[in-house]
Amino acid sequence: MKVVPSRSSEWVRPVTSQKPASAIIEIDRVSQVFQTSARKDHLALSNISLTVDEGAFVSILGPSGCGKSTLLYIVGGFVSPTSGVAKIKGQAITGPGPDRGPVFQEFALFPWKTVLGNVMYGPRQQGVRASEAEAQSRSLIEMVGLKGYENFYPKELSGGMKQRVALARTLAYHPEVLLMDEPFGALDAHTRTRLQNDLLNIWERDRKTVLFVTHSVDEAVFLSDKVVMMSKSPGRIRQVIDIDLPRPRRRNELLLDPRYQKYVVDIERMFDESDEVGASS
Amino acid sequence: MMSPAAVLKRAAPVLACIGLLAIWQAAALLLKNDSFPTAIEAIRAIPDILGDKEALINILASLRRMAMGFGIAVLFSIPLGLLMGRSRAVAAFFNPLLMVIYPVPKAALMPIIMLWLGVGDITKTLVIFLGVSLPVIYHSFEGAKAVEEKMLWSGAAMGLSSLQRLVRIVLPAALPEILTGCRTGLVLALITMITSEMIARQSGAGNILFNALDMGQYDTVFAMIIIVGAMGICLDAIFERIRARLVRWSEPQFDMPLSFS
Ligand SMILES: Nc1ncnc2c1ncn2[C@@H]1O[C@H](COP(=O)(O)OP(=O)(O)OP(=O)(O)O)[C@@H](O)[C@H]1O
Ligand SMILES: [Mg+2]
Repeated sequence: MKVVPSRSSEWVRPVTSQKPASAIIEIDRVSQVFQTSARKDHLALSNISLTVDEGAFVSILGPSGCGKSTLLYIVGGFVSPTSGVAKIKGQAITGPGPDRGPVFQEFALFPWKTVLGNVMYGPRQQGVRASEAEAQSRSLIEMVGLKGYENFYPKELSGGMKQRVALARTLAYHPEVLLMDEPFGALDAHTRTRLQNDLLNIWERDRKTVLFVTHSVDEAVFLSDKVVMMSKSPGRIRQVIDIDLPRPRRRNELLLDPRYQKYVVDIERMFDESDEVGASS
Repeated sequence: MMSPAAVLKRAAPVLACIGLLAIWQAAALLLKNDSFPTAIEAIRAIPDILGDKEALINILASLRRMAMGFGIAVLFSIPLGLLMGRSRAVAAFFNPLLMVIYPVPKAALMPIIMLWLGVGDITKTLVIFLGVSLPVIYHSFEGAKAVEEKMLWSGAAMGLSSLQRLVRIVLPAALPEILTGCRTGLVLALITMITSEMIARQSGAGNILFNALDMGQYDTVFAMIIIVGAMGICLDAIFERIRARLVRWSEPQFDMPLSFS
């Protein structure tokens, strides 16, 4: 019989303690209850506390339905938590803002805009001159591998292509924090690897804070400074693992690194254990 | 070059018209009834009507009222429908009112409106307005309700205010549905226009039609029916072209420009 640690003490800070100067996102005992038609009150998130340091790359791993998206929406300011507070730079989050850029699981592209129109939308809204916004957007579109598709409408793109447009659209307005909800989920292995590398390059250059939801353990370990493991029903944080691997990370080097392999194996084993716990309870 | 199939597709409405007229012609010749002129007689009466200055002024007055009623209705109904679709409170406020108005034939309200506002342009335009408003409100409402929430969230994250989101996200996203409502509204505008002139007989295309009926000028009656029908078909065809162009991005099959017709 294994005892699954429900919390890791190192990163769960009591509210009374002083916050570190570098914390950009602080989630403090956040719970989210949904009223659903089937189950009356559904506890999607239970007492979540998490601190994300400025410039950190933090991944959230967890089974489907454990509340990963919901947690991201709360940080985005799209959903206000039933209890607890989420803060950005010390300020309680009351709504969305251009400092936090979401990349939604559902893409949510503007279907009446072309690829270029979608990517330019944010910069234009922020008052960037049209010519400048266009130039930047074109290079972003090229970066995500969609050169030549600038004038296509979302309807004419595949799922993976839409996902890349969504990523470019958010990167285009330079949010300080990226909130990415399985942004590479719909991609083939090759494009996925390429975009992981591109994202890592951007991140190593700009040091944006990234909150990154994924199902892939490899991806989480490869990209992150910290991996937050969640469990389901109710959605809780099971464990936070610091990924102590050197940067800049190069994929081909890392794959051979025994430390990387150990992280992946350990995290995967923890998942299997949580499955057993879930099945027996 | 157009393929034979494309030629046939374009010619189909014309062929349908010719077929209809042929059936009419045959039926009229068989029945030999004074109140049922042949298609050819009716068509011959058309130049007389369109050549008559008085009649032309009447028809143009009808069209002007129709355009006014339709235009005002669209300008009023789209914002209202969109607001209803995005705000529970606005929907709860207007829904009961619209539910009551919806099934009432707008022409049935005319006697009351005439009592208050007279038999002039205002009354008729108002009835057209009422006729057009409901389908446009309804479709705008449905369109706005269906807008994907994440799309609005994306806009909010980019810094769009709620009004900006309504104008720059909800409106374009709901446009296909809105234009479907407008197309229904356009046909209803034509119907209410003629009906209103039938009730308040003073001027207009409907007035010509029913005066001719009173005087037993049946070829004029049928000629007017052809004219009004043709107006409806033309307006609808023009509108459909504009609609298709505006919402090209949403059509299920995005047809590539194979010909420039
Ligand atoms: N608007 C809502 N109303 C009711 N229940 C909701 C709502 N949004 C989410 N839920 C419930 O909350 C739980 C968490 O949902 P969430 O979308 O955050 O999961 P997730 O971890 O992102 O899953 P996935 O990996 O499949 O995307 C689910 O059980 C879901 O049914
Ligand atoms: Mg999710």
